Amino acid sequence: MILNLNHLHGESAGATARDVVETVYKLVEEGQIAPNEFASLRIQLDWIQYKQNFRDIVSVAQGSNTRGDALSIMDVHIDTRQVVPGCLRDGILRAMARVNPETSPEMRDQDRLPLEDFQSLRTSIVWDFNKLYWTRLRDWEEATGKSYERSLPGGVSDGHQPQAIADSVGDFWTLLKDMEAKKNLPPEVYILEIGVGAGIRMGLWLDKFRHLDQQRQTNYYPKLRILLGDYSLQTLDMSKPAVKEHTDLCSFMVLDALNPLKTLSFLRHKIMQVHSTNVYDNLPDEEVLRRDGRLYFVQVRAYLPIADVVKIGETFDLPPDKITPCVHRLLEGGMDTLGDRARGLAFWQAVWNAIRLEERLVLLEDLPDFPFPEGLDAAKLEDILAGAPSDFRFHLSSGALESFINTLPLLHPRGYLQVQDIFVTDFNAYRMGFYGPGKLDGTLLSWVNGVLLREVAERAGYDVHFAPFHYRKGSKTSILYTTRRE
Amino acid sequence: MALPILPTTMVGSYAMPGWLERLKTEYFARRISRHELDEIHDTAVKAAIKDQEVAGLDIVTDGEPRRDNMVDYFLERFPGVQIDRTSKKFYYDFYDSVVKGKLPMASLGLVADFKFLQTFAERETKFCVTGPHCLTKRIRNEFYPSEEALAMDIARVMNMELKALVKAGAKLLQIDEPYYSGFPEDLPWAVKVLNTLVEGVDAKIGVHICYGNRYGKPSWEGSYRYLFPGILEAKVHQLTLEFARRGGEDLDLFKEFKPPFELGLGVIDVKIHDVETPDMVAQHIRKALDVLPPEKIVVLPDCGLFHLPRDVAFSKLKTMVEGTRIVRKELGK
Repeated sequence: MILNLNHLHGESAGATARDVVETVYKLVEEGQIAPNEFASLRIQLDWIQYKQNFRDIVSVAQGSNTRGDALSIMDVHIDTRQVVPGCLRDGILRAMARVNPETSPEMRDQDRLPLEDFQSLRTSIVWDFNKLYWTRLRDWEEATGKSYERSLPGGVSDGHQPQAIADSVGDFWTLLKDMEAKKNLPPEVYILEIGVGAGIRMGLWLDKFRHLDQQRQTNYYPKLRILLGDYSLQTLDMSKPAVKEHTDLCSFMVLDALNPLKTLSFLRHKIMQVHSTNVYDNLPDEEVLRRDGRLYFVQVRAYLPIADVVKIGETFDLPPDKITPCVHRLLEGGMDTLGDRARGLAFWQAVWNAIRLEERLVLLEDLPDFPFPEGLDAAKLEDILAGAPSDFRFHLSSGALESFINTLPLLHPRGYLQVQDIFVTDFNAYRMGFYGPGKLDGTLLSWVNGVLLREVAERAGYDVHFAPFHYRKGSKTSILYTTRRE
Repeated sequence: MALPILPTTMVGSYAMPGWLERLKTEYFARRISRHELDEIHDTAVKAAIKDQEVAGLDIVTDGEPRRDNMVDYFLERFPGVQIDRTSKKFYYDFYDSVVKGKLPMASLGLVADFKFLQTFAERETKFCVTGPHCLTKRIRNEFYPSEEALAMDIARVMNMELKALVKAGAKLLQIDEPYYSGFPEDLPWAVKVLNTLVEGVDAKIGVHICYGNRYGKPSWEGSYRYLFPGILEAKVHQLTLEFARRGGEDLDLFKEFKPPFELGLGVIDVKIHDVETPDMVAQHIRKALDVLPPEKIVVLPDCGLFHLPRDVAFSKLKTMVEGTRIVRKELGK
């Protein structure tokens, strides 16, 4: 048996590791785990820092081919944070039973209600919940009495930090000054904000830029053309008051963060600054496992634990077989489709809180048509992984990569992209911590694989740099910024 | 071989296929030999020539698959330029290179590549070389007192090479100088260097000046106005400029300054994958005909097709030929 400790959070790790080893040996002695099962057993101890997440205390991810036949690879995941004395034995037994070939599919699913089939995380139903949240943000906030921003760690977006904004304004002004000196200043200076939030950052940024411009009498401010893009009309509307003093410069547009170029191709090579805060960590993602020189794609299936199914059924007076159709109705039509809005919203929150993801591992070579995000393919991924650990699990950050690659062509030759987000910048980090997916309010988030972004960017003609956000103590965000590669 | 009116050609490079990129990287990783890579390059050149001829171009190049980029192919051959061969992670990266002493006069060995092109091409050929100004910008100069002095010596060495190419049968040569647009203040000395490069070279010589195409993106933006009147001193026959992506506004400069050169008219945007229509190409040519007679126009893409997928590059060339034929017909040619 191999026991992997995947976190630096040492508080209870020792005790849990001891418990796991003792429990497994006990189960072997009792004959509950066969010696050959013991030999191939690999247990991963994680520390899931998100209070709301998609994991059970013990879960199992088995290898499978595309037909669903089991492969020998199998990982048992234990969330050290959730472990309480005495819970491991049942958890491990249940996990082992789930992957026992003699267990019937009905028996396997007796403790859960699957909401979908196994598939890529990026197409999972959980993203429909995410989308519902952003399109119905106002309703959610009203119901909870709490704004999205207050759910963020620290209760405020790092994107609004005044000194960070002042520095950003100063850098941009310097760029324009330099371009003017070289007689290259375009008549219209385009700035794109992807994911506008409440519009606060852009409002503050414009206030400061106007002030600096007036102070230095450079008259750049009237040249600015501000594009505020978001896929939610409701969010765009909510951002307008924050930039009301600069309305003449601003355009609000529905824009797919995954492909800004689709909306803005007429501005190819013309945008001087593209900025986003906490957008990449909320774009569709998936994970890949590297084990013994082979790559496995982590497929997921969303489900509700049976205890929650019972509870939701009682609360909303729904028989178990009506819960899945109600979930789909909610996701397609919103809260009103479930009788009244308040009831719909409560149902939404109950389901979202309960939802879990189970996993299986599919050999990537069994998926010749695997849709790699733009800028990446199997050969490139192999190249990138050449110096990476031989045994680790990492995010593909498909949505972030897609957005990134579809944003770069918009940049003016002197333009740059700035992304403030949570990044993993070293593959080894994946062996020292958990980086999502987790739940944040009604959304889900994963850290962004900065290593992949950096490598893909190089092939696209940009160097990517990560600067830790030093303006707020304890902030986990960094600022990705691009420079042109010669 | 007589060329039709409005002859069509490429700027130089053809699409670099993904499989060839991977094989080049394999070579750098020592997983295939130099001999194998040379054979692969030969095959890729033949394929590029064939594609151009099938697309209907009147003048073909070798497509430049041998060149990892427009700089290293030349600097590697320059005696006196020291290359740090460990400095490259991906084949397309530039080597770090430095000059620490006077460049000796020596052959660069380009004739073999030209002869290969000549052997397999059934159409008129053009051979392209990167110009001294561009090469100078990529070398760390630790010897010469100025960039101009370094560029001048590069021009002297390359002048000898251009003469060798002419001796081997080259009739059309193109000098690529994309860095002019990034450093317009260099133009006065860059033109002197250019004239040293082409002095006594008995061939039709064009200069390609664009706004950069590194990684398929422009490196600079602006107007070709900076070229005038300085470029009028250049002793070349053709200026090859990009107009498809940037629009035709700068065509007026040809009206204003009446340069003696032919115009290599960029009619295909090489920075997008959408394939133009023949009508769009014809429209670009008609616009240029308002300024210049057809005898003074050569039709070609804005820049090299290096960064486009092969099928897109091929379709763009075919479209360019079709669009040109529309205008030839209108001209009764």
